[in-house]
Amino acid sequence: MSAPLAGIRVLDLSWVMVGPFSARYLADLGADVVKVESSSRIDPLRTLGPFKDGIPGPERSVSYHNLNAGKRSITLDLKSEAGRAVALKLTAWADIVLESFTPRVLRNMRLAYDDLRTVRPDLIMVSTSIAGQTGPYASDLMGVGTMGAALSGATFLIGWPDRPPVGPFGPWTDEVTPRFIVSSLLAALHRRRRTGEGCYIDIAQAEAGMQFISPAAWEFTANGVIPQRQGSGSRLRCPFGSYPGADTDGWVVIDASGPAHWERLRALVGGGLLDSRYETLIGRLRHRQPLDAEVSRWTSQRSAQDNEHILQAAGVPAHAAVRAAALATDPDLRAAGHLQPIDDPVIGDAEIEGPRFAIAPSSLHPVRRGPLIGEHTYEVLRECAGLSDEDIASLGEAGAIA
Amino acid sequence: MLAGIRVLELSSRETMLAGSILADLGADVIVVEPPGGADGRRLEPFLDGLPGLERSLTWQALNRNKRGMTLAIETPDGVALLRDLVQRFDVVIEATASGSAPSLADDLSLRPSSVHCTIRPFAQNGPKAGYLATDLVLMAASGALGMMGDPDRPPVPLPVPQGMMEAGAEAAIAVLASLAALDGDGTGQRADVNGRLAAMVGAFSTPVTISSGNPEGPRPAGGGSIAGVNMPTVYPCADGFVVATLAFGSAWGPMTNRLAAWVHEEGFITEELGLRDWAPLLSDLQEGRVGAAQLQGLVDGLSAMFATRSKDEIWREARERSLLVAPAMDMADVATSPQFLERGVWNELTWASRTIRIPARFAQFSNYSITTRRPAPMLSQHTNEILAGELSLSQDELQALFVHGVI
Repeated sequence: MSAPLAGIRVLDLSWVMVGPFSARYLADLGADVVKVESSSRIDPLRTLGPFKDGIPGPERSVSYHNLNAGKRSITLDLKSEAGRAVALKLTAWADIVLESFTPRVLRNMRLAYDDLRTVRPDLIMVSTSIAGQTGPYASDLMGVGTMGAALSGATFLIGWPDRPPVGPFGPWTDEVTPRFIVSSLLAALHRRRRTGEGCYIDIAQAEAGMQFISPAAWEFTANGVIPQRQGSGSRLRCPFGSYPGADTDGWVVIDASGPAHWERLRALVGGGLLDSRYETLIGRLRHRQPLDAEVSRWTSQRSAQDNEHILQAAGVPAHAAVRAAALATDPDLRAAGHLQPIDDPVIGDAEIEGPRFAIAPSSLHPVRRGPLIGEHTYEVLRECAGLSDEDIASLGEAGAIA
Repeated sequence: MLAGIRVLELSSRETMLAGSILADLGADVIVVEPPGGADGRRLEPFLDGLPGLERSLTWQALNRNKRGMTLAIETPDGVALLRDLVQRFDVVIEATASGSAPSLADDLSLRPSSVHCTIRPFAQNGPKAGYLATDLVLMAASGALGMMGDPDRPPVPLPVPQGMMEAGAEAAIAVLASLAALDGDGTGQRADVNGRLAAMVGAFSTPVTISSGNPEGPRPAGGGSIAGVNMPTVYPCADGFVVATLAFGSAWGPMTNRLAAWVHEEGFITEELGLRDWAPLLSDLQEGRVGAAQLQGLVDGLSAMFATRSKDEIWREARERSLLVAPAMDMADVATSPQFLERGVWNELTWASRTIRIPARFAQFSNYSITTRRPAPMLSQHTNEILAGELSLSQDELQALFVHGVI
């Protein structure tokens, strides 16, 4: 059974994370994704680690493989007239074009949606940027996902009430936004199958981020309350939060404020938790500090992972707040087949992540490595842009495919 | 865009955003709750800070545009009605409480040309299949939570549950991908979403750090460290906080140079620090052309300059100079930002006899618009209309189901 998007062609003009990760979803779903790169201005993701064996290099970024798995790569200078002509030929070939430039960039190159749809009237195109293609700040606003998180309201909310916010881990909107891009694209494809209509889709990373924290936005617009940082706990739950393990910066989360979970935790830990003050939820909330101290004393006796195993075995929702080392050996990830081997001509054996869902009887494409810079330039120019060997040679002489 | 697609969502926390995205994209979504109300109705914040089944803002935010019905699906009548009902839908979405908990799909024979999506917290057959999973458990298991927060204190999550958002958004993709397969050859599809893996997207490259031969780093505290210099992402300013990313290398170095030039112009760092080329920082450090003290000087100067300026002043200057700097907006800032207002992010919703502005449009389409057609359903609001309309139940039958607690 073929993959859901078998036969769908994607021209991926995007860089760094949001766009490439969105296009990786499409590649996993079976689409033929051609990524446009440049060897003079390489995709900045190629400069971000982790690098295989810790050795930097443009062909050594495992993050690059993770977000560009299964794509073909061509080098093309979009700023040159010859390069622009090739981009239009590739647009005519493509069903979908994705881009993540600063909003004015494609307009300046005359490669915006209105230019591209002249060669492909039913084109589906996504532009993604920090704050969108319209609005007072649109045309100049460049940025990264840390800024998307800040503008969405998320950064302000993460941390302790008595300290400045710490914000999310990494460029948060880079992980949130692809979900809205891919959903929008797949819906647009569905409509195109029925009506033949293409579509232009403008997705601002800050606005996608707002969807993941929309209850906080509602708290302001409905209640007039500006939500504040809450640390690691919850005003309405106890015990709830991160508790220390015996290992360095090892933490186990416990979420046992419901009566059944609480009774199991209490029976397991015993000792001070048997105090009658903790019998009721209201009692636990009112005596949160001594209760949390009791739980912390108990969890400190063993590693975060041992805590997790003992607590889950007793029927208490818990998990170590894992980081890289624990994930690398997590048997659940192995059982899920999530970490998949790739064999790359430059870095050799490595592992990247697989998809986060499965479909049957249709199936996702098995995991592949990401491309080398310009690895498929020649074949793509021939197959997809319909160029002859002579055309390609003259592009090379003009410096348009470097 | 999804006009004509009919979705039956068996409400769980993890299904809410999936159904909401599909409804925003035009599908007709019906959410099924137990007679006592879905779990999502008990999630804070609540309207005016007072609890109630019809007062959860989280429920409202994630169930707008859906219709709702109740059904006790563990009763014989509930099972029978659900079995008939699913025949009439293109998509059924559900979530299980643990990896190994049975899925309704195992019991219900769906229409052959339909999509059934099941969200599970952990792998169905893995060693954690029996784990009890709450939102916080998913976030801890994802690897994202362990990287968040000041290193001298426990890890901090976002105060809005994120596991359910990650799983739900991933499920929307899985459903739409299954629909694409169905559109292709008419074959019905089963989609299985792993909630932990969905949340793991937020851990970025953490899962492949070790296998690529790199050590586990310390908790980055929202920033990182270079040559022993703490590089914050968030800086206090005169009226709040701003985010500034100091990045290096050929791609991002020029922005750091422009930022340093500004800090120098304002007199907070020396000419040497303000006008040097910061792009090759890592090789310059290695070869001794620059030291940690100079990098510290840049960070200190930046901190001092931000402390004297407001979020708005910094933001205006950052846009003009194309810097990787933005205000850490609170929700009042977000709600009044001219950028989002002019773009039409906000829709108005009339609910609980008031009009509320809600962040509705996650995307702007050239020939489609995300509209807010109705507020989230009140408990059992559409049960009679759906059961009478879809399954032709009589008034007496509906009353009997209610009398016996099935609806």
